[in-house]
Amino acid sequence: MSYSSRRTSRKPRGFSLEGGSPGTVLRFLLPALIFVFAVLLFPAGYSLYASFFNWPLNDASAREFIALGNYARLFTDPEFWNSLKLQAGFIVIALPIELALGFAAALLLNREFPGAGVVRTLLLLPVFMLPVLSGFTWRYMLQPDYGPINWIVAALGGKQVLWLNDPTLAYVAVIIQDVWRMWPFMFMLLYAGLTTIPEELFEAAFMDGASWGQRLRRITLPMLRPTVITALLLRLIDALRIFSEVYTMTEGGPGSSTLLFSLYTHRQAFSFFRVGLASAMAIFLLVLSVAVAMLIVRKNMRLEEMSKGADA
Amino acid sequence: MKNTRPALNAAIAACAFLVLAVELFPIFITIAAGFRRDIEILGAGPFSLKFTTRSWFLVLFKSTEFLGYVGNSVMVALFSTALSLAAGSLAAYGISRFRFHGRDALAYSFLVFRMLPQISLVVAMYMMFQAIGARDTIWGLTLAHSSFNVPYVIWMVLPFFAQIDRSYEEAAVVDGCSRFQTFRRVFLPLAASGLVVAAVFAFIMSWNEFLYALILTSTRAKTAPLHVAGFIAADGLKWGQLYAAGTVLLVPVFVFTVTMQKFLVHGITAGGVKG
Repeated sequence: MSYSSRRTSRKPRGFSLEGGSPGTVLRFLLPALIFVFAVLLFPAGYSLYASFFNWPLNDASAREFIALGNYARLFTDPEFWNSLKLQAGFIVIALPIELALGFAAALLLNREFPGAGVVRTLLLLPVFMLPVLSGFTWRYMLQPDYGPINWIVAALGGKQVLWLNDPTLAYVAVIIQDVWRMWPFMFMLLYAGLTTIPEELFEAAFMDGASWGQRLRRITLPMLRPTVITALLLRLIDALRIFSEVYTMTEGGPGSSTLLFSLYTHRQAFSFFRVGLASAMAIFLLVLSVAVAMLIVRKNMRLEEMSKGADA
Repeated sequence: MKNTRPALNAAIAACAFLVLAVELFPIFITIAAGFRRDIEILGAGPFSLKFTTRSWFLVLFKSTEFLGYVGNSVMVALFSTALSLAAGSLAAYGISRFRFHGRDALAYSFLVFRMLPQISLVVAMYMMFQAIGARDTIWGLTLAHSSFNVPYVIWMVLPFFAQIDRSYEEAAVVDGCSRFQTFRRVFLPLAASGLVVAAVFAFIMSWNEFLYALILTSTRAKTAPLHVAGFIAADGLKWGQLYAAGTVLLVPVFVFTVTMQKFLVHGITAGGVKG
């Protein structure tokens, strides 16, 4: 492990920096552990507890223990299945498009030309902008009367499109927003992955007469596979909990046509005041996210690797 | 494979700038709308780019309401960054410099904690905060933001910590410094660059955050993104002000993206980009 490999010869015999009484170690870890307990583990446990109750937000006296009743109710709730379906569709449609666009851009930009650094950096602006702003940027883009998209549609001779008032188009718009915002995320990771492939591989293949397509298929794609998996998993964890952008764009509507999982949980808790049911949904998403997060951790977050990657 | 044909290179450069222009167009057009009168937004079409007015910005900067919410955003982001940096750097030091049972498992669980969805925690937090009077307070929202920033800071600084030579600390310990003194007087100054990077990332995560602010605040501790979202819902006709407010909120993000360019990949692999 590179974490412990940095020994020096100056230290006295038998002395180890790594030794520390449990008390010393605990003193370093304690503040973070207190935070994690107070604002992560306790709320998560509290959600689990609340998920076993019929728990109206505004009426404590009506609270009653119903064991797995909320979970059973979710299974028979068509709106729950609808939100799962919308969420799954969103992920299955948006992520591959983002991956394809990001990969194409990474191939295109993996060379030096004047201004390459500027392009690579500014492309990332949407990724880091406030989700609320990217939501309302697209609300403006898609505004029926004077939004830029409809302006173009009209210029091409099309009729006015009521993007966010139509269930199907609103869902498409939510996906467009996410693709626009997040393909540079894929680009950034894949580009970083591309730059780590040794140049000699390509040169050797080039000498052997391999065509561009062959080099892509035999060298780039296999070498990039781990990066692609990491990028997809990281996107998956963000896509599972998407809320703010969609909330700003549509609030889940019209009707429940863009009511993704987080939005439905929010609606159950704060519009219908069903805290128990919302907590059951919260736990469902929590378990799913922990599973994905553990995959990410297991796949490619080696402590040793993190120790050399500060400016990769 | 380096490209040696200049014509192809020029074509690729042109192509790249075109992609960039298309990608940034929605942001540009929204910013531009903040500089136009309502009548022009509504009538002249989105592509007539005459910057005719600064009045929306002047209105905003004279509005104590907007400035108050920006102030709340800044306070929550600063406090949460400071807390997370303090707790996070201590924990990262513990993980990076000590060998103890369960060390790896602990480090990895911090990473998993970073990825927990906010919606899964916020319902319980709402009830907890209500019970202890933390709802709609700056310190309450600061605590909530620390739930993602503490684990984030730990994973942001770990690689920086690992690069620091141990001989300084060893010398300090041999000279009789306690471990905590060594950490504070010898180690932290050496780790300054990593701490700055982590602080900037934590600040932006908090600045961008929306869901916790939506649920856990209402008037007193309301943050700027929440205020902007309220503009959309309630005052559909104040478009110009809305775009101007959005532009103001985007400034720190722009500065962040440009200055932190070198660390962006590291920043997102340490647990996603959403707060």
